[in-house]
Amino acid sequence: MTAKALAAATGIDYREHLRLPMMPHILCPGCGHGIVLKALLRAIRSLDLDWDRLAFVAGIGCSSRLVGYIDGCTLHTTHGRALTFATGLKLARPDLTVVVITGDGDGLAIGGNHLIHAARRDVDLACLLLNNETYGMTGGQVAPTTVPGSVSTTTPRGATEPPFDACALVTAAGASFVARGATSLPLELDTLIAAAIAHRGFSFVEIESDCPEYFGRYNRLGRAPEMLQQQRRRFDEVDETLAAKRFVGAPPHAGVPRLRTGVLHERKT
Amino acid sequence: MVVDVKTRETSEVETEQLATGCEAIAEAIRLADVDVMAAYPIRPYDGVMQAAAKLIANGKMDVEYIVADGEHSQFEIVKHACAVGSRVFVGSSGVGWFYAFEAIAVTAGLRLPVVAICGNRALDDPGAFGTEHNDSLAVRDLGWLLPWAETAQEALDLALMAWRVGEDRRVSLPVAIGLDGAFLTHSQHIVKIPTQAAVQRFLPKFDLGDRLLHPDNPITIAPQVDQDWLMEIRRQNDHAMRQALGVIREAHADFKTIFGRGGDSPFLDEFMTEDAEVVVIGQGTLSLPMKVAIRRLRKEGHKVGLVRLKWFRPFPTEEVVRSLGRFKAIGVVDRDYSFGSPFYGGVLYNEIRSALYSQASRPAIVGFIAGLGGREIEQPMATEIFEKTEAAARTGLPAGDVCHWIGVRE
Ligand code: SF4
Repeated sequence: MTAKALAAATGIDYREHLRLPMMPHILCPGCGHGIVLKALLRAIRSLDLDWDRLAFVAGIGCSSRLVGYIDGCTLHTTHGRALTFATGLKLARPDLTVVVITGDGDGLAIGGNHLIHAARRDVDLACLLLNNETYGMTGGQVAPTTVPGSVSTTTPRGATEPPFDACALVTAAGASFVARGATSLPLELDTLIAAAIAHRGFSFVEIESDCPEYFGRYNRLGRAPEMLQQQRRRFDEVDETLAAKRFVGAPPHAGVPRLRTGVLHERKT
Repeated sequence: MVVDVKTRETSEVETEQLATGCEAIAEAIRLADVDVMAAYPIRPYDGVMQAAAKLIANGKMDVEYIVADGEHSQFEIVKHACAVGSRVFVGSSGVGWFYAFEAIAVTAGLRLPVVAICGNRALDDPGAFGTEHNDSLAVRDLGWLLPWAETAQEALDLALMAWRVGEDRRVSLPVAIGLDGAFLTHSQHIVKIPTQAAVQRFLPKFDLGDRLLHPDNPITIAPQVDQDWLMEIRRQNDHAMRQALGVIREAHADFKTIFGRGGDSPFLDEFMTEDAEVVVIGQGTLSLPMKVAIRRLRKEGHKVGLVRLKWFRPFPTEEVVRSLGRFKAIGVVDRDYSFGSPFYGGVLYNEIRSALYSQASRPAIVGFIAGLGGREIEQPMATEIFEKTEAAARTGLPAGDVCHWIGVRE
């Protein structure tokens, strides 16, 4: 994205694209999903897309709730099925740009099968998977992304199962564009979402988006600002070489970023 | 009134505790020494997940507990755990229950005594979280036993009954306990929690016997039988469902002996019916607003009462006919719908009507659809239900509509 486009995008009046009669929204104070929504609106602005040729499809969960607030063509579908609705929509109306908003429970648990097959077929959809490591809407249960040791309402003593690496999963399944973004890096998020939408083929962006209400509270991670700072620290380093340099002498793993943001895989189709 | 929320010993066989319907079910899972339970979050059923997870984390319960990746796998997991001899628990609500439907149908077909709760919730679309009975009722023809609880106490008691009856070799069928979403799943009551020893006297260990799938016992379950044997196997399910009535009676008698609870009839709970001329019948927490209305109407001289149906499957035809045959008119209140059914009535309405058809003298039967999607049945609505039923007692059924939607904006 050019600096000019970025400036234009950040000058956006979000209210133009929100369903104001739906306010107040149901997201908890500090929820990361609001940051993603704003980044999405900025990304669309930067691409200068025609809102009448843009459709948003979501499943069920706090993240999927976002489509309820976008003043555009939106489909709020059934739990786990957003990608199948979106595939049908794209087949019937290939002229539409289709953006799918899903969560880690919706997209990786109950809808996991659809995710890998959408990636395998490389359907021309942009899928944003908002990962908060929990089922927020139903009260903070363990999800297939919960890091071992984390407390949830169904794992009061800490989760034990290994989590999915969503980006690795869809890359292996055949997606042609895979990226990871984070709400603690909101401007990079604009760029990643815009690139995903512009890409032809199945583009996937996993977005680390905090749930302060359940995941944060149960794991004593502080409130939203503290959670964002911690999240930021996890993504702080741009690459592992730099991380290794900066933390010479540090114990193994300390300071090495657990996760990398940015475009992780791209295959031009 | 001050309620002592701490657990206290009240007798040799039980303690008391303040618990929601979901928490009472979690206690039942502990007491029944369930081997495997599977969960997936959906409101209002998910209250059980959390309550069970807490019992496990606090070291009070030992159960293999898996949070599955969706309801379909959730029900498949317990089904197969059951086939190899585990006592199991599972549950869901509304559309989640429907997502598991393939497994739900097969479980009954396989005669596997899975015990589930259905935290009753309206089906999408349009979205609503509140109670509606069409989720449970969707399985009514498949061979699942379907009891409905009124209170958290009854939820716990029915769960213990469910394992006992479902696992009985004469029955060997799954059981889905209906719990009205929010009204029961999430409201607290004082619940008597039996001791493990008392429960062991009531509930024998699960034993599939020669039907256990085990390498030492090479048997085939779920074979492809085609038209050669399918009817015979269906007929066995029919037989099992018939047997279930007697097994429930036995279990109810034992339950009363051991725990001193359960009322006179395993199937019906009657309230102020001795001299009643007009009664309403319904399931679950419907009884609560109805009882309030009955007390009030009786002060005004109306001879009204309530019959609450505790088991929808197997349908206790004999008991229902005997009980309802005494009254001049009956109002059937459905918290469900059955679009396009005879007289456009609810599911229960048509079942009650069918049960009474062969009686020489039949009361007038009026149908009501009320409280859908968790809408509260308020006192004016309850009054209207009784007024319409009383009118039918006086003058017979009016021509035209005999089923009414109550409290709906037209
Ligand atoms: S529960 Fe968590 S994910 Fe859901 S809106 Fe609240 S903070 Fe966000």
